[in-house]
Amino acid sequence: MMINIAAALAWIQKHQLPSGGFPYQAGENARPDATAWAVIALSAFQAALEQCDRARAYLISQQAEDGHISISLDHAQAYWPTPLALMAWSNSSHAQQAKNSAMQFLLRFSGLHFERIGDSVMGHDTSIVGWPWIADTHSWVIPTSMAITALQNGGIGHHERISEGILMLLDRQLPHGGWNSGNTLVFGKELLPLPECTGIALQALAGNTERHSIQKSLDYLLEELPRLRTPISLGWTLLGLGAWGLKPPHTDELVMESLRLQERHGPYSLPSLAILLCAAQAPQGLDSIFSPHVS
Amino acid sequence: MTPTPSTTTSPTLTRRELLKATLIGGGLALSGFSLLQWLRGPLLTASTFIGKAHDYQENLAIIIRDGLRELGLTPTMVNGKRILLKPNLVEPHPSAPHINTHPLVVRGAIEAFLSLGAASVAVAEGPGHRHDTLLVLEESGLGDVLYEDRIPFHDVNMMQGITVPNLGRQTRLTTLTFPRIIKDVDWIVSMAKMKTHHWAGATLSMKNFFGMMPGIYYGWPKNVLHQEGIPQSILDINASLKPHFAIIDGITGMEGDGPIMGTPVHAGVIIMGQNLPAVDATCCRVMGIDPSRIPYLKKADQWLGPIQDIAIEQRGEPWQAVQTPFQLEPEIPAHQGISL
Repeated sequence: MMINIAAALAWIQKHQLPSGGFPYQAGENARPDATAWAVIALSAFQAALEQCDRARAYLISQQAEDGHISISLDHAQAYWPTPLALMAWSNSSHAQQAKNSAMQFLLRFSGLHFERIGDSVMGHDTSIVGWPWIADTHSWVIPTSMAITALQNGGIGHHERISEGILMLLDRQLPHGGWNSGNTLVFGKELLPLPECTGIALQALAGNTERHSIQKSLDYLLEELPRLRTPISLGWTLLGLGAWGLKPPHTDELVMESLRLQERHGPYSLPSLAILLCAAQAPQGLDSIFSPHVS
Repeated sequence: MTPTPSTTTSPTLTRRELLKATLIGGGLALSGFSLLQWLRGPLLTASTFIGKAHDYQENLAIIIRDGLRELGLTPTMVNGKRILLKPNLVEPHPSAPHINTHPLVVRGAIEAFLSLGAASVAVAEGPGHRHDTLLVLEESGLGDVLYEDRIPFHDVNMMQGITVPNLGRQTRLTTLTFPRIIKDVDWIVSMAKMKTHHWAGATLSMKNFFGMMPGIYYGWPKNVLHQEGIPQSILDINASLKPHFAIIDGITGMEGDGPIMGTPVHAGVIIMGQNLPAVDATCCRVMGIDPSRIPYLKKADQWLGPIQDIAIEQRGEPWQAVQTPFQLEPEIPAHQGISL
């Protein structure tokens, strides 16, 4: 059981498959999302450079001609791993073409959007373009946040898609703070925020909006933090707060507590471990772990 | 053995008797049954069970066991079966336990099936709004139950899938992808919460299976299905998955603006059955809702199962005795005109 950071890193390294990819959980086949997370986490610790290169090559092998990476070749419409792959290729000279192709895909690709009619029961502006999970569906907070983070980490500082994505995230922020999957009010009732979505959105908005516009969301996360110990919510909360200079001084202790909870929950998935590791290692948000070294 | 609804006319209602009733007094018209249906052939019938439970501290395992027995499920039929329970944990919040299937109802089902000789019981869920399924387990309280009872939990949102033909064909989807665990179990049991729903009218055992569709293929929320139409998707999922049983937590349900923002309502029942449209129709009647006004149930009638009162044999409590009209919201289109 991976009860400390070193053990978690070692577990990830140990589970690379012959294809170069990594599985979601031990004993499974390689998956693009898990592979990308493995590279991101190992890179954060500048560990296993050769393994990371092989994993990046695996991701290139999964890339479609138009630049996207889907969760599986049988589900080509599930484009959401593309930003993760883009981040995994960060600072890799061998993956420059793949990276460019993925970025161009993300800049072209959006989901379904429509003008909000006057008496719409939905509280958010359905016409603002972000990114969806799956092709031909509406845009949502997590894929939009990941696309913004990946594109900016890839070197695209300003682009109208990023600007509109930022607007979209701000539009989906709940009036009392925080984000959920991407709904605000439905039939006049304000919905409830979720820590993992709030952390991811705050991570994406750092450096892209003024603090006052997201202060309520920061307050929400700070209030939630004491009770969070599951890896995804804790990890993204730490990264989201860190992106705004609020990384808790006891982050390592919190991460260790979460790792110890595997005794109750069973082994965490690779992406869950990776998010925790990134949260422990990142000085600020997720993008702060991408140092300018080139492999 | 996969339980199926009976496809013969009810032993108490032969075709001759149906015709006689129609000619005498139009009683069948009042019950919603049409002569046209009779002319179509044998009536699909099913049984459901309603058990009373005042609160979650009652011995729910006994109520569920009684229900299984009343529905004709013997220990021989359960013995050796690998059971998968699918509760509704759409979006737990510590301050709103009425959103989700209560963990003690899940425990009751676990105990009931194991006591009847099931080879194994596991729990699976793929919350539609939550990416962090472990937090869902903890906030719902189900994590404690599963940990104490040593019951495995499967996050189907992240699970690799198997793709099957869409047997419902109500949406444009030619295939559906279910989590691969469905190949490793014998019975899939829907353990839904009794709630109103602001898009579907009501969310019960059949809608609960949106949570079986992996988010890695369908999104968070499961937008692919919303795009195709909620009633249509409900039908396609159930026609293709072919679930085996339903146990509905109606002890405290949700009225008003379900499935998240409504208010708790005490109905004091557990409703069970092998045929999910029949179970959902019975739940609707208890909630004071006309099942024929719920689009997915209307379409499911006499295809996936019966929804007409005359075609459902009620065991345990009669629904009329436990009816607790759930408050509907007049400004919500899906709630308009559905009262019984």
